[in-house]
Amino acid sequence: MIKLEHVYKSFGKLEVLKDINLEVKQGEVVCVIGPSGSGKSTMLRCLNHLERITSGKVYIENEIADERLNDKDVLKISQEKVQQLCTELGMVFQRFNLFPHLTVLENVMIAPKIVRKQNQEEIKSIALDLLDMVGLADKKDEYPSRLSGGQQQRVAIARALAMRPKIMLFDEPTSALDPELVGEVLEVMKKLAHEGMTMIVVTHEMGFAKEVGTRVIFMDEGRIIEEGNPKDIFDNPKEDRTKSFLKKIL
Amino acid sequence: MLTEAQMMSILNGTLLTVKITIFAMIAGVLLGMIIALGRISKNKILNAISWFYVWVFRGTPLLLQLFVVYYALPLLTLDLFGSPIKLPGLTAAYLAFTINTAAYLAEVFRAGIQSIDKGQLEAGKALGMSYNQTMFKIIIPQSIRRLIPPMGNELIMLIKDTSLVASIAMFDLLRSVNQMANATGKTHYFLYAAGIYLFFTTIIQYAFGKIEKKYAAYE
Ligand SMILES: Nc1ncnc2c1ncn2[C@@H]1O[C@H](COP(=O)(O)OP(=O)(O)OP(=O)(O)O)[C@@H](O)[C@H]1O
Ligand SMILES: [Mg+2]
Repeated sequence: MIKLEHVYKSFGKLEVLKDINLEVKQGEVVCVIGPSGSGKSTMLRCLNHLERITSGKVYIENEIADERLNDKDVLKISQEKVQQLCTELGMVFQRFNLFPHLTVLENVMIAPKIVRKQNQEEIKSIALDLLDMVGLADKKDEYPSRLSGGQQQRVAIARALAMRPKIMLFDEPTSALDPELVGEVLEVMKKLAHEGMTMIVVTHEMGFAKEVGTRVIFMDEGRIIEEGNPKDIFDNPKEDRTKSFLKKIL
Repeated sequence: MLTEAQMMSILNGTLLTVKITIFAMIAGVLLGMIIALGRISKNKILNAISWFYVWVFRGTPLLLQLFVVYYALPLLTLDLFGSPIKLPGLTAAYLAFTINTAAYLAEVFRAGIQSIDKGQLEAGKALGMSYNQTMFKIIIPQSIRRLIPPMGNELIMLIKDTSLVASIAMFDLLRSVNQMANATGKTHYFLYAAGIYLFFTTIIQYAFGKIEKKYAAYE
């Protein structure tokens, strides 16, 4: 579903991703862990063109989404194509990024409404179902500022799902939340995983990674150092850097 | 008290003042928004053009711009094309005030748009919305609330600045009372003008306060 081939990314002189190779298959829940600054967010953001890769290839749904060499396009991809590929990916941000001038329901409806131009009633019923799924049907007419962080993040998940993405990207979805609100967001993510959604989750929630992750990836200094099933990585890490990172956080 | 002729003169002057203000505000908002979008666009040419526009028209006096449009344009076009283009006074005033207002508002709009969290643009993009869709449905609506106070300010400046049209042979509110004062040697006519200006600026202040409250609903 997603493939990264020899992906490099630099911000000026700072090389943030170094030869990343990763393939994610349908139904996988890939958890990405690693110290701050190791390039986890950048890797996710390169998938939906929030950042452009410096070199390498990105495939989404077996279609080439980006191919570049030294900050130049090898393959010119039209803006429309990029937009269409972005709708295959739903993204949930650390800081929610809800639209504050729209109500909860409008937040969930806006993208299908203006990108897909579907019928209004249909969009609304899908949006209401999604809000129900994240347990916020009763908050549909509130503005985001009236909600707790956990509720806002659940709305953000519903908003991303409204575009019917095939893959969901989560960038530390619970790290901006008070500890008592983390659980409700993780619950929704577990539900999604059980429904078979393909997910890439950058997280510090090792419990979540162990429970629902099908694969764990450890990144450090822009490289994928080690990957494997959660049990092996957590109980039996091979690389020294993985060991010392896990020792620090567990 | 005022004679009927004086009242007509004040009324006409007020009408001119209001006409120019309304025209320049509406046209200035539209043009200013286009220039602001040019200023923040990634397109280098649009960027340079809008930067140049703001640089010139915000950096020179409005009175000079009025003179250029009204007096210098005919001379210039005569030299260039062999026949002069002479704009009627009112058209020249509309044009100069619009150009000038747009330059100020462009900067107000640019700052307002750029004050919106970058995460909003990213969220729109991640949802598959185009740059324009995100701009018009997400970013600009959020910036409006922040734009209301400076826009009210600009409108008040504008209504007062319209008195500059006296310099291109037009009779606005201030010039008509000035003429009465000169003709009669009495200065109380200026009070009428002051009252009328205050009347309008009070309405503007009140209306913009209301609008600001309305837009604060989601915070
Ligand atoms: N837009 C940018 N411009 C310049 N440098 C950036 C930019 N975005 C990220 N970086 C740098 O790239 C490196 C990797 O950042 P990234 O956000 O991908 O790390 P991360 O693994 O997600 O860290 P964290 O756990 O703190 O979120 C960091 O050194 C960061 O400072
Ligand atoms: Mg990060």
